[in-house]
Amino acid sequence: MSRRHIQNILLKEWALLFTDLNSALTVTLVPLLIVGQGILYIWLAVSFGGESMLTTSVFQSALQKLVEAIPGVTQLPGKEQLLVLLLNQFNFFLLLIPTMIAINVATFSIVDEKLSGSLEALLATPVKTWELLLGKALAGAIPALVMTWLSAGVFLLVVLGLGWGDLSGFVVTAGWFLTLFLLTPAVAILSFMLGVTGSSRAKDARGAQTIVLIIILPVLALIGLQITGILWFTPSLILVLALAIGIADFISLRAAVRLFRRESIVVQWR
Amino acid sequence: MAIIETFGLSRHFGKTAAVEDLTLKVEAGEVLGFLGPNGAGKTTTIRMLAGMIAPTTGYAIVVGYRTDRDVEKLHEVVGMLTETPGFYNRLSAKRNLEYFASFYSSIGLPSKQVEKYLRLIGLWERCNDKVGTFSKGMKHRLALVRALVHEPKVLFLDEPTAGLDPEAAAEVREMIHRLGQEGHTIFLSTHNLNEAEMLCNRIAVLHTRLLALDTPEQLRRRFFHRQLMVQLEVPDTHVVQTVEKLPFVQEVREEGSQLILELTDSERNRPELVKVIVEAGGRVIAVSEKQYPLEEVYLRLVHEESGNES
Repeated sequence: MSRRHIQNILLKEWALLFTDLNSALTVTLVPLLIVGQGILYIWLAVSFGGESMLTTSVFQSALQKLVEAIPGVTQLPGKEQLLVLLLNQFNFFLLLIPTMIAINVATFSIVDEKLSGSLEALLATPVKTWELLLGKALAGAIPALVMTWLSAGVFLLVVLGLGWGDLSGFVVTAGWFLTLFLLTPAVAILSFMLGVTGSSRAKDARGAQTIVLIIILPVLALIGLQITGILWFTPSLILVLALAIGIADFISLRAAVRLFRRESIVVQWR
Repeated sequence: MAIIETFGLSRHFGKTAAVEDLTLKVEAGEVLGFLGPNGAGKTTTIRMLAGMIAPTTGYAIVVGYRTDRDVEKLHEVVGMLTETPGFYNRLSAKRNLEYFASFYSSIGLPSKQVEKYLRLIGLWERCNDKVGTFSKGMKHRLALVRALVHEPKVLFLDEPTAGLDPEAAAEVREMIHRLGQEGHTIFLSTHNLNEAEMLCNRIAVLHTRLLALDTPEQLRRRFFHRQLMVQLEVPDTHVVQTVEKLPFVQEVREEGSQLILELTDSERNRPELVKVIVEAGGRVIAVSEKQYPLEEVYLRLVHEESGNES
């Protein structure tokens, strides 16, 4: 029964998502902008920064960590080492896609229904709170994930197009796959759970958006930690991180259910 | 058999009592009108009975389920029309209804059920139109179908005609009437006294506490004696004097060409009364029971309660 309920919520949310121009643009354009921006920065850094960037203490430290993780990099010329270093940041950069989409989509999901009055009617059906919240979170997280994976594909095509294909072996590693297929789903679900929870508690979408911003900071921190050489995310570290966020997903669902006040919603929103 | 039964049901919001010590029974197949001024606790009562909010004290059993404990099972067997029924305006009427219907385990094929009800309310031709393009009246009818689509045992209707134009209100009323005729148990909250009288078997008047619960006729009798109205062709003093002498006439009053009488036994004494009037030369146009508007009963009840409070 729960599966059917969640499926119903998913299909309805998608029907709404893709009939709203703003939401549809958010889901499609945000990934493109993030990928475009990422590639542009890398291209600018490699084209104009060049090997001289590697002499800075920050990049020296990062390069050392990269060499420890992927020893074959030492065979490459300096400029290509820089390129490999930068391209390896990109999978973390992709984590911004689900969080950005969550800010724009999930935060409206419950607030909109409160305002339209459809939520009270929905709560009068036998739907369970956790089904409603999980359904809404997945309805945003799944397209966001698909877009993230498509963006990763686009990124690889651009890498080939720019003539950096020889380096793909240093980029598309086990860590790359673990980040894309374990860490990203965990982050996406967490972002959307926070967005939906915020939406259920907030009086408007802006209030809910503030809550989701919390998730962006750790994602930026991940990129910062790796690019500055403080920490290199090896496959085992990514696995541990994905597991920890997976547990956080489960906790966030339970917390969301506890924080969802059916009575307040029914009494205060009419 | 009581399908709704409440036992000292109360709900407080902070220090404010919205509903206090409500005890009532509603029989299966009954249409119960729930009247009361704004803030009387009508919506709060409906929400408690439909398992949307919990009582502070007391409890209610609806279709055999405790409304504060068996919420999911209760939601399977009751339908609720909220005061401000919201829809997904960018989705079609059919899609909207199918979505809500799909949460009920009793519905095998939501699309079949939705089609049946959309045809019933005459909206099948517009089933693929977006709800955002519908008028307020159409949305209300659609909301009624949403509450009905799983064929609930009890239907809670909160102000179903509020804010509708007369034509749309009449359409909704007609639908409720039909449902009542078909034997649905309906709990109808309304401000419209004519509507309540037209549609309901019994009427409950609430003002935080239950002030009265009875048939419209019995409520009238509580405040007004049964009176007979005899419409004469022209005013006739002789007729009045003759009638006054009759042993079963307790009171007679002349209002233009109309006689207002209180009889010992309105039904039994009526033929004799008419005979005497005719014999006294009175030309009778009509004889009917004087109907005091339910509004007067309601106002008396509510004012009595307000007087008690102060």
